[in-house]
Amino acid sequence: METYEGTGMIETAEALGMDTYERVSPDEAAQALAAAESSRARVAWSGYPWWYWVGTGAGLGVATYMVGLSGHWWDLPILGVTLVLVILVAYAASKARGVCEGWLGTAMTRREVSVLYGPATLLILASAEASKHASWPPIAAAVTVFVLFAGTGLAMGARAARTRRP
Amino acid sequence: MSTSPGTEQVTAPAGGGFDEVIHAPVRLRICAALDHAREIEFGALQALLDISKSALSKHLSVLADAGYVEQRRAVRDTRQRVWLRLTDTGRAAYRGHVAALQRIVGNAQDQ
Repeated sequence: METYEGTGMIETAEALGMDTYERVSPDEAAQALAAAESSRARVAWSGYPWWYWVGTGAGLGVATYMVGLSGHWWDLPILGVTLVLVILVAYAASKARGVCEGWLGTAMTRREVSVLYGPATLLILASAEASKHASWPPIAAAVTVFVLFAGTGLAMGARAARTRRP
Repeated sequence: MSTSPGTEQVTAPAGGGFDEVIHAPVRLRICAALDHAREIEFGALQALLDISKSALSKHLSVLADAGYVEQRRAVRDTRQRVWLRLTDTGRAAYRGHVAALQRIVGNAQDQ
């Protein structure tokens, strides 16, 4: 039977006739938890095609731009079409990478979700507020949201792909 | 108790959430990956775990024999793909196993 690297606990424990639960050392348990976390991170970030990050970032950028121009009758239809396109991109990316997380599920932790979506959300809200009070170019906010989202996604994906298995 | 023909012997859950079927390193990583997804395609899981097809098949058959993993076949682009998912039993066993590991680490830190 395999063991976690460097612990050698399983064979030793079997030789001593110890109970399974008792024979796992804290080091081995910690290694096992790290391996599980590594698998989760790979499911969360690796394997996405580049166009998923670019397409979703572009969708968020369009949403930011439309929010900054609020008050026009065409805002809602354009936002609706953008939402549909973002969903289609997510569906196609899920098929392409061979991982189905479900519509509401994600392998990302809350912290990772905050890192990915937090800056974009804050910028969208700031852009909406700024458009009421000052001359704020919505295109600047839109481009920033796009760069932040796509850049974060591509960087995290590349990092997850580089992570060697434990 | 469950076994896989021609492969290693594995034992049934030993209580306290610790599960010897899941504890083997590759099987733990398989379960960890599947726990965070509804389904993963065989080739994608192989790439995620960076292991050979034969090793993945061997460990999947052990998990399937234990009732922890089930597979669905679907044709895409004229090729048959195998999609894998954790069963409810497998998900509960995996989460119980992780909780047991956390207790072991936590107990050591308390001492």
